[in-house]
Amino acid sequence: MSEQAIRKVCVIGAGTMGAGIAAQVANAGVPVLLLDIVPKDGSNRNAIAEGAVAKMLKTEPAPFMSKAAARLVETGNIEDHLEKVAECDWVIEAVIERLDIKQGLYAKLEAVKRPGTAVSSNTSTIPLANLVEGRSDAFRRDFLITHFFNPPRYMRLLEIVTGPATDAGVAAAVERFADVAMGKTVVHAKDTPGFIANRIGTYWIQLGLNAAFDMGLSVELADAVAGPPMGVPKTGIFGLVDLVGIDLMPHLQESLTATLPDDDQYHAIAQSHPLIDKMIAEGFTGRKGKGGFYRLARDTDGRRKEAIDLAAGEYRPAIKPLGPTGPAARGDLRALVETKGVIGDYAWAVLGDTLAYAAGLVPSAAADVVAIDDAMKLGYNWKAGPFEMIDRLGAKYLAGRLEAEGKPVPQMLRIAGERTFYRVENGQRRFLGLDGEYHDVVRPEGVLRLADIKLASKPLLKNASAALWDVGDGVVALEFTGKMNALDGDVMKLILQAIPLIQSQYKALVIYNDADSFSAGANLGLALFALNIAAWGEIEKLVAGGQMAYKGLKYAPFPVVGAPAGLAVGGGCEILLHCDAIQAHAELYTGLVECGVGLIPGWGGNGEMIERARNAKMMPKGPMPSVAKVFETVSTATVSKSAAEAKELLFLRPEDGITMNRDRLLHDAKQKALSMVEGYTPPEAPTFRLPGESGHVALNMAAEGFRKRGLATDYDMVVSDALARVLSGGEADLVDTVSEQDLLGLERETFMRLVREPRSIARVEHMLGTGKPLRN
Amino acid sequence: MQVYEAPLRDMKFVLHELHTDDGFGNLEALEEFTPDLVDAVLEEAAKVAQEVLLPLNRVGDIEGCTLENGVVRTPKGFREAYDLFREGGWCALASDPEWGGQGLPEQVNKMTEEMICSANLAFSLYPGLTHGGTTAMEGYASDELKQAYLPKMVSGEWSGTMCLTEPHCGTDLGMLRTKAVPQDDGSYKLSGAKIFISAGEHDLTENIVHLVLARLPDAPEGVKGISLFLVPKYLPKDDGTPGPANGVSVAAIEHKMGLKGSATCQLNFDESTGWLVGKPNKGMEAMFTMMNIERVSVGIQGLGVGEAAYQSAVWYAKERLQGRSLSGVKNPDGPADPIIVHPDVRRMLMTMRAYNEGCRAISGWVSRALDAQKHATDPEVKQRAEDFVALMTPVVKALFTDLGFESANLAVQCYGGHGYIAESGVEQYVRDARIAMIYEGTNGIQALDLVGRKLPAHTGRYLRAFFHPVAQFIEAHKEDEAAGPMIEALEKAFGALQLSTATIAQKGMADPEEAAAAATDYLRLTGLVAMGYCFARAALIAQARLAEGVEDAAFYKAKIATARFFFDRILPQATAAFLAIKSGKASIMSLEVEAF
Repeated sequence: MSEQAIRKVCVIGAGTMGAGIAAQVANAGVPVLLLDIVPKDGSNRNAIAEGAVAKMLKTEPAPFMSKAAARLVETGNIEDHLEKVAECDWVIEAVIERLDIKQGLYAKLEAVKRPGTAVSSNTSTIPLANLVEGRSDAFRRDFLITHFFNPPRYMRLLEIVTGPATDAGVAAAVERFADVAMGKTVVHAKDTPGFIANRIGTYWIQLGLNAAFDMGLSVELADAVAGPPMGVPKTGIFGLVDLVGIDLMPHLQESLTATLPDDDQYHAIAQSHPLIDKMIAEGFTGRKGKGGFYRLARDTDGRRKEAIDLAAGEYRPAIKPLGPTGPAARGDLRALVETKGVIGDYAWAVLGDTLAYAAGLVPSAAADVVAIDDAMKLGYNWKAGPFEMIDRLGAKYLAGRLEAEGKPVPQMLRIAGERTFYRVENGQRRFLGLDGEYHDVVRPEGVLRLADIKLASKPLLKNASAALWDVGDGVVALEFTGKMNALDGDVMKLILQAIPLIQSQYKALVIYNDADSFSAGANLGLALFALNIAAWGEIEKLVAGGQMAYKGLKYAPFPVVGAPAGLAVGGGCEILLHCDAIQAHAELYTGLVECGVGLIPGWGGNGEMIERARNAKMMPKGPMPSVAKVFETVSTATVSKSAAEAKELLFLRPEDGITMNRDRLLHDAKQKALSMVEGYTPPEAPTFRLPGESGHVALNMAAEGFRKRGLATDYDMVVSDALARVLSGGEADLVDTVSEQDLLGLERETFMRLVREPRSIARVEHMLGTGKPLRN
Repeated sequence: MQVYEAPLRDMKFVLHELHTDDGFGNLEALEEFTPDLVDAVLEEAAKVAQEVLLPLNRVGDIEGCTLENGVVRTPKGFREAYDLFREGGWCALASDPEWGGQGLPEQVNKMTEEMICSANLAFSLYPGLTHGGTTAMEGYASDELKQAYLPKMVSGEWSGTMCLTEPHCGTDLGMLRTKAVPQDDGSYKLSGAKIFISAGEHDLTENIVHLVLARLPDAPEGVKGISLFLVPKYLPKDDGTPGPANGVSVAAIEHKMGLKGSATCQLNFDESTGWLVGKPNKGMEAMFTMMNIERVSVGIQGLGVGEAAYQSAVWYAKERLQGRSLSGVKNPDGPADPIIVHPDVRRMLMTMRAYNEGCRAISGWVSRALDAQKHATDPEVKQRAEDFVALMTPVVKALFTDLGFESANLAVQCYGGHGYIAESGVEQYVRDARIAMIYEGTNGIQALDLVGRKLPAHTGRYLRAFFHPVAQFIEAHKEDEAAGPMIEALEKAFGALQLSTATIAQKGMADPEEAAAAATDYLRLTGLVAMGYCFARAALIAQARLAEGVEDAAFYKAKIATARFFFDRILPQATAAFLAIKSGKASIMSLEVEAF
């Protein structure tokens, strides 16, 4: 069957998962019907679904990317509104994990749905074969499992399981929508219990709990070992269980024990721990309960972190464990598991068996090693998947140690022998298959990763903080490479070198990188060091250099497209403001946050923002309204919580694009850049009419209002006064026009004045030390 | 001949004129120490130094300490001198009044230390180590220990030591082996061997209180498993007087290059009873409190010897008649002119003079910060003072001791062949000064401390306490015609320092060997800029005073002359240091080990 476009979706079950999935559909701009049961009491028959939407509007991190998205959710109940399913192209079932209830719902759905409308279950435990028992062939053709992870907006993994009867076209339509519209990375799993990620994850958690109890480790040390040194988030194992809910563990255990085949290794390790049972019984279920393995205790001195002593079962003040050091702390897994003493023992106990277990799941749970690695990276936020970890540890080493301990060696490990599971041949990443041969890792159409390009080519230009890559079809990509992708003199230097190169040999530039954070702005550490040694001249050079580089991009004779994802603040936002167009990932957190560190934007951000505000729809005429709007956004260091919100805040133009799937961002940006090449002319330099001294006074009065309400500190007033002076054009008169260069000069001069202020230095220092703004 | 008269005029200049607007503000707690009171203290200290300690300096060197039947005897006269010193209250000068100290400002205390070191470096160690010990105890010891020991130590009745080094470990304390086994009563039994223990055993006091680094049975390996203990030579009885011996014995005293009047002992601890000072396994922290104070004091030792060497050389250069002045006869009645007429002799004397005045000025600045970190009420000032002390401690220690040794060497050179003969007394300065470059962390270690710890700490925050005042001073006086060439030279050296700092921070992050290879030159560069800043300020003050018309114009004229000499003849070393730093580690590290 041919693939059918999905124009409307129905989600049934308005619990955390169902509601979150509905929100993500709405975030994609697609209308969604959210249904739940009719509550037992009360007069509002839609109360449950309505309540779920209302709750989501207050949840942080927010499930919705914008208020407009929330308006796309239509609420209802399954008794009165089930027939509306006929309007939908995909029905996602996310009700309670009970087979009878699901089956009952499917029976009703079959009666109202259109043929060809996909029905998928978000089950995490029930096999597909059981779900479709008693359903018609036609229903089975339209049925599959789509297993989302919590929270659905932020977790990128979607496990899809199809049955023998599932129609390929139906599955393809769902997959495409989930990928392109909802931004998920689809991993195909077999119809086995727990699918991939939770199957391995549960095993890993169980091992970690068992070993910590057995070896008498503190939870802090356990998490310090089975955390960052393994490429796992710093919550480790105990912290993760606290996060997902300790009471979930017995359910998972019960379900897996009941459904996994008898010879599965999980049975050997599945066990309960009296302390954990006691904690659950007493309501210590983790962060959502009275506390978990960790808790924040309040006493007279304020808040204090505590952890539970696994042996005594009592809380005690949290300790800072002496975790792995040296290479073992920095990702050398061999060094980690060979560390003498309890650290190495624990690392091996957790890692060795987890990797062996994962290796045993090909081909029973997943077709290949790539699916398993992707599932763990996207579903559990591991930096490397199990097979990538085995490559670092050595397949032969792992097999040898397992053998020495009398444990079975999985088939995939034997196939690998002394080889690795991944290798790069001629710039192409390839993986080891069950057939013992290497196969290309194939990306879906429209997925372009800089990492792949980097494997296959050499940079056109490169220095310590940036690189320039040929991404094909005459487009080059500028990549930031410093820590947190911070911007410094090297980045500016590379931009100035790139411009003539692109002009002579290429068509367009995309500013992009693969990292989680596009850029945290200017390298504050470097700046603070320069401040501390009173290197004012160097700082001014850096400011002027940045202004020059960014204007160079703006007026370059080729299109420049910014392609940010994640954090893009300060100088990282300013570079976007200088692009001809932006193709942003939906998860874009951008803003001009300089005031938070006692400074103002110094790389041309002020003029660009005024320009955007002036051109914004609905903006009243005259110099003051646009300046006031920019002042409001910048003086409060406002950061968008999504790309959609970045448009509302004017950081993005209305015509800028938004890509939902992170993996598609570079491709989309590249296409956008190519679409602009034909007949491209650089923008003309604007001249500004700014409100001058009287505008300055008006802005200060607005700020004074903030201060009176206790929202601004004394020093905020000093900083916002400096910002107001720049935005209003300094001593400019209303009749004067201010050139872009004049405004840059004013911006630079004001920046240099603020940067010497001890209270600004204190703010920079505090931000670097704590990651939080200082309210001095 | 060993000649010494305390440089009271210059000390008073540093105290009352040079650092009055250094940004640390008025310290209310020290207001009772009026300039008159301070001057009186200094004058008294000068008398003790000149009249009591100076005459014993050569005696101590010739006689040295002796060990007989486990008892160490100090040179003849030391004991009487120590009694006089103690009874005069000099031991308790800078200690906390809570324990019987006089609570004098560190600024004043460091000046008296300088005088004592000039007069008799070996003697200075006995009260000096006690002071370090009491400071560590004030910060870390339990109340019981403080009550039992501090009053006697502060008064000087009992003395103190620092027991760190063991036969197999000096700089790398992580390797130390002395054991401390917990006892039921909360005390510990310490066993092990310590070497190089200054004042480890002597006959000056009735009891000696050792602060000993040792390991607990369950201690982690390395420096994270070291604890600090207090172990008295005699266990105090209930009435507080010394009781039974505590298993601390002297195996030997070291035969040394110099500093012979100071007893440097090998000590054995045999099941000696001790008490924990501070927390288990946190001994390095407590020890470093003491060490940091000692490091500044060791710097003062360098300055002290440098001053004595200078004065002895000046005396000789005026006395010794050899050759005639190149610009015409200056002493027509004599057979020859005094050698002070010769430019090269002048060069040496001026060099020594500039070093001493420069170091004294820095010392005054750093000890102002020591006072501010203790007494300032504004937390920002306190923090800045702490930062400044942390940054400048290794500079003071290494720069002052390097220059003190160089001055001692120059003094011998001024004496010619006579300087090489023991009777002249100046070769003793060379031998005595040499140790100050080594102990309390070699000067190489100081330089590493500066580039490895102090420079990068808190993204360069310590540097701010030094760089900002210098930058502001240069900016403020750039257009100042009177200061002209001096400020220009200072600005250039400061620029070199800024650039070197940024380079080391950047290169050192990628390759710690780069920072280490630059360390010694960087410390010197920092020191030269600090001196330059002090001299420029001093010269501006002197110019102002002369313009006002003051009585002792000669002092201010001399100050300006010395400052000029510094900018012409010494500050250019900054360029050399800068170029050396810039060259990186390659030429230091490229030769294969086998080729040495």
